Amino acid sequence: MIEINRLSAASAGLDMKIKIIGIGGAGSNILDRLVLDGIGDVDIVAMNTDVQSLTSSVARDKVQLGRNTTRGLGAGGDPEIGLAAADEAVEEIRQILEGASILFLCVGLGGGTGSGSAALIAGLAKEHGALTVVFATLPFGFEGRRRARQAEDALAALQEAADVVVCFENDKMGEAVPPKAGIHQAFANADQTIGQSVKAICGLVRRSGLIHLGFDDLSTALRNNNTRCLFGFGEGEGDNRAHEALAIALRNPLMDRGRMLADASNVLVNVCGGQDMTLNEVQILMEELGRHIGDQTQILFGAAVDPKMTNRMSLTIISSVPAAETDASRAIPRDSSALPALREPPAPASDTADSAQEREAGEELGQTSLVMETPPPEAAQTEPPAVRPKGGSKVPPAPVPAAGPPPPKAPVERQETLLFEPVTRGRFEKSEPTIIDGEDLDVPTFLRRHIKVK
Amino acid sequence: MSKDNILVGLEIGTSKVCVVVGESRPDGSVKVLGVGQAPSRGVRKGEIVDFETASKCVHDALVDAEEKSDVMIRSVYVGITGSHIGSFNNRGSVTVAEDQEGIEDKDFEQVRTNAREVSIPSQNAFIHSVLQHYYVDGQDGVLNPIGMMGGKLEADFHIVHGITTRIKNTIRCVKEIPLEVEDVVFNPLAAAQVVLTQDQKNLGALMIDMGGGVTDYILYVDGAVKQSGVLGVGGDHITNDISMGLRIPMAKSEKLKIEEGSVILGNSLPGDVIMLKDECGFAGKEIEREKLNTIIHLRVRETLELLKRTLDEENYLDFVGSGIFITGGCSLLKGIDHLAEELFGMPVHVTHAQTMSGLTSAFENPQFSTGIGLIKYAQALQSDRPGRWPRWLRLPFFGNR
Repeated sequence: MIEINRLSAASAGLDMKIKIIGIGGAGSNILDRLVLDGIGDVDIVAMNTDVQSLTSSVARDKVQLGRNTTRGLGAGGDPEIGLAAADEAVEEIRQILEGASILFLCVGLGGGTGSGSAALIAGLAKEHGALTVVFATLPFGFEGRRRARQAEDALAALQEAADVVVCFENDKMGEAVPPKAGIHQAFANADQTIGQSVKAICGLVRRSGLIHLGFDDLSTALRNNNTRCLFGFGEGEGDNRAHEALAIALRNPLMDRGRMLADASNVLVNVCGGQDMTLNEVQILMEELGRHIGDQTQILFGAAVDPKMTNRMSLTIISSVPAAETDASRAIPRDSSALPALREPPAPASDTADSAQEREAGEELGQTSLVMETPPPEAAQTEPPAVRPKGGSKVPPAPVPAAGPPPPKAPVERQETLLFEPVTRGRFEKSEPTIIDGEDLDVPTFLRRHIKVK
Repeated sequence: MSKDNILVGLEIGTSKVCVVVGESRPDGSVKVLGVGQAPSRGVRKGEIVDFETASKCVHDALVDAEEKSDVMIRSVYVGITGSHIGSFNNRGSVTVAEDQEGIEDKDFEQVRTNAREVSIPSQNAFIHSVLQHYYVDGQDGVLNPIGMMGGKLEADFHIVHGITTRIKNTIRCVKEIPLEVEDVVFNPLAAAQVVLTQDQKNLGALMIDMGGGVTDYILYVDGAVKQSGVLGVGGDHITNDISMGLRIPMAKSEKLKIEEGSVILGNSLPGDVIMLKDECGFAGKEIEREKLNTIIHLRVRETLELLKRTLDEENYLDFVGSGIFITGGCSLLKGIDHLAEELFGMPVHVTHAQTMSGLTSAFENPQFSTGIGLIKYAQALQSDRPGRWPRWLRLPFFGNR
């Protein structure tokens, strides 16, 4: 009987029609990234005033905004034109929205098209009764004050119109980029972070977990007007996966190493692991995370078991803090319609560089959605009854998005496991390795050169 | 003796902690009053890994130095190193206000600030910005631009930076003693003060300080620092290699390296063995000399080759006219100068602190180059301080940044 309940819950999840809409140049960049990483079974729609950018988009459905207003050109950074353009295409937008029960809007605020039309589209979605989650980026500081103001205005309008607004600051996301990396990597990083969170939230609302987190929890975590989103995703493998996952999640630039979490009033935490995930691991992880979270903070905890995640564990943290907390970083704000222009050329290069890993993760996402129909009963046994289950339903889990922000230490560890013979570093065993040109200099030279001294 | 005249340098090295007490004399020379040292523990590759143990060693060395020099030590100049330290050259420029009579101090400060406006990793902090050259309106070779007329002042700096938290660890370790930290100095910069003469710097010189945990280097061309850095390989690595290759304990390997080791191959007859006596807990062993030397040779050669490759990236090596100066504990290895000569193709000198008076035995030991360098550096810093225009040496206190 319980089985039946689970199945129905799972299929109810599957019945939800999800659409992801990218608005403007920045929006379609995020779509490109999502498609590249693999997002699974969702409809992807691009909306833009700029025909050129629209044609190069990978989205299946495309809507040109302002056929007469802009005649295929961009909105020129003017939200008024963006709004007029969207007004003109209202009927087309309505058609697209038809039948969608959850809508993800990806938009870069600060420019013309995105800032102008996003609120209108969100409003239309509400009319259709679809739940609307908006992923909005605020422009880089260097893009100027005017753009920042436009972005702020648009954000305020969006918060009125949408159910949930997840707001990202490009400045914060750019911080994770190594100082010598090209500008394209800064943009790619921003897209990647947003892509991860879209996938994470998508997974969260679409599937039920062992301890289910739903849309209500999400909106609690992101409640309050004028907030900035804190998002972290990490995945770990092996014996130390719980720590690894947490470390990677907290390394996310939007987390500021977990410091920002202290100010949050609600934190959504979703843990997903294979059937070998133990209660102890979850406890350790939550305890460690608890150190970053204030006493008054409510933790919205979710857990899910996914057979595909054997030997691995992923952690998603979503929260929000009042914008004032982050004011310093956006004192000189930025814009976003400049983003597309800047982004387009380097996009392919950066994609090839870091998407292989993510594509893998993306495939998993697809696989997990298949598995959902046959929820593994053993999972219930391996999973701790101690963690209070919210609903009886359980199925694979939440977000299996791309690997977290590029973990700088990973290559070092891999290097060591790749060596064919056991390497010994003697007294340097426990110290930080000195690695130059891929060689671990702590290993005796004669060993590395295979010179026999015996 | 006024307190101001006493300068103390502290080097927390991988193999030893050394405290050099010196007296600054009005004629600009420095007299070494005493050197205190203690074997170092809790330090790996030039960085503190065991805070408490390291603190204790620093304390021991300090007490030793106070006894030997008969001076109460209150504040020290601390040398730092570690493979996290990086450096680069950058030019700062500033436009001088039109109504201004000549170039002023504040313009110079502006130039220095400008030169630092480059992106270094966010967790790093600037340690030094060492002046290389001035340009006034593009005119090269200006020694002191203050008071000169000009519309544009430019200056090249050699900028050294490192990870903030690691540097702070060293400072904290000293403050716990408790001692005041006057300034933090990048080790090779300090050592070069006493190892190289001004002539050698002008001609172009490369100083390699092979210590216990790391190898520091600094390259001068035209009297200015062009390149500096740290390679995380040092004498400890040689000892470790010997210990692993010959299967003998670390302490024995260290002794063997110091007493018998050589980097020259093919010098020993076949069957030439070194006897290690058996003693409690160690069954004696015969060691073939050639084996020992091969292990040492391979490591030292590799280290020098890596160094050369790093230096070759910027082509300054061609301008080194006076040759290479090797100092630090590892420079005592037999034949290291010949190997370096072979690899770099220029004259190599194994050297130690030069321009000092006082305790001769102290500065003739290359192990103390950095410690003595620290007090010489401190002296140069202090003579600059009272309002006079800084010479090329002037460096800001690390903590300011």
